[in-house]
Amino acid sequence: MPPKADINKAGWEQSEFPILCETCLGDNPFIRMSKQEYGRSCGTCARPFTVFRWNPGTGGRFKTTVICQTCAKIKNVCQTCLLDLEYGLPTQVRDTALGLENEAPTSDINREYYAQNMEGKLDGNKSGLDTGRSASAGKEMLKQLARTDPYYKRNRPHVCSFFVKGECKRGSECPYRHEKPADNELAHQNLQDRYHGKNDPVARKIMSAHAESQGLKPPDDVAVTSLFLTSLPPSSTELSIRTHVLKSLPSVEPTQLKSIVHVAKTRCAFVNFKERSIAENAAQAWANGLEIDGERVGIKWGRSRAAVKPAASTSAAVTAS
Amino acid sequence: MPKIRTTRTKIPEGYDAISDILDEYAKKMRDAENESHEGKRKAESLWPIMRISHARSRYIYELYYKREAISRELYDWLLKEGYADANLIAKWKKSGYEKLCCLRCIQTRDMNYQGSTCICRVPKAQVRSGTVVECVHCGCRGCSSDS
Repeated sequence: MPPKADINKAGWEQSEFPILCETCLGDNPFIRMSKQEYGRSCGTCARPFTVFRWNPGTGGRFKTTVICQTCAKIKNVCQTCLLDLEYGLPTQVRDTALGLENEAPTSDINREYYAQNMEGKLDGNKSGLDTGRSASAGKEMLKQLARTDPYYKRNRPHVCSFFVKGECKRGSECPYRHEKPADNELAHQNLQDRYHGKNDPVARKIMSAHAESQGLKPPDDVAVTSLFLTSLPPSSTELSIRTHVLKSLPSVEPTQLKSIVHVAKTRCAFVNFKERSIAENAAQAWANGLEIDGERVGIKWGRSRAAVKPAASTSAAVTAS
Repeated sequence: MPKIRTTRTKIPEGYDAISDILDEYAKKMRDAENESHEGKRKAESLWPIMRISHARSRYIYELYYKREAISRELYDWLLKEGYADANLIAKWKKSGYEKLCCLRCIQTRDMNYQGSTCICRVPKAQVRSGTVVECVHCGCRGCSSDS
């Protein structure tokens, strides 16, 4: 395609085919898709982009792409449902499991500038993520959490708002669903949050369910803000533990880590956080185990403050004697 | 648009016999135009207009072509004055389009995909599932010749 002459339009996006996941495309192997150049502005970076629209099987609602290809490539997500292309999980889940940091700016001109720059860099390259260096423990966790079959319930029509009020006059010809709308936490989702991976209710649900199943249910005592690490490699020092802990939690700042108590004899450590919420995030991220100095360490919640010190000293006493 | 007779030429004979019915159609059209838009979709508000226009054209078409109750002169005059849609009647003369609802539904340029027509043109036998079809342009429920 010839380069765009108008400097204002040079930042706008054109593409030939959308980046989509299996579920969004639907069950029918034959699809008729319409393409509209510069149909809408991207949901995350607000630049005009090519909109694709298709019917994902009968009984479906005609899905369309909502974010541009550049934004999809940066996060490696589907252009319509904003879920990861490999695992089908929300961005937040994948990022916490793999310890990836979100660098994309979220406001105004910043994000347009960022998107434009990334477009140049990613040209031709398939994804913006380097998945090579991330922990295999994280990948295992994601594989466990991911679905195996496509989930076509996502493609159903939206709930008929007139039906909810009792006023739907279209009756059987109404293409929207005549059901009661679910009114739970999952009903308040927002595109920007889901894309950037913060404050996503679905992600929260997935991760807390997983953490509970791994025996890492947050204890009822809200004062407990520490996690207990076991089977550390003998070569670890407090410093190496601290480094690994912070590296695997990119969203946590070093100041939020109150202290690390390392007991070399029993090869375990206590990681104390300042805030309970940070501790819970850490538990969720490490639900499948954390890697320190090449060894997988076990994670458990610490006990209430009164019990912590005696536990460390008694176990130290036991191994000494 | 103008049903107001601005012609200075004479009205052909035979007009008085049908003028009552034509006036009724005019009244119905007025009512449809003045209806409130409450409780209706944006497209739905236009459906009665399209329906009455179809009905009126149908009446004149049948008078001339089927019942042969009016003269050629009167028929041409009615078309000229805008009492019936000449283009729509031209379609009715073709095989397969005898019951066509409106001209928008066969206009392929208006459709999303290249060369397609409105869903109301599909025979009921071939639209599977039990869904009722109400086309978005004119509210038609199926205007193919065999359903």
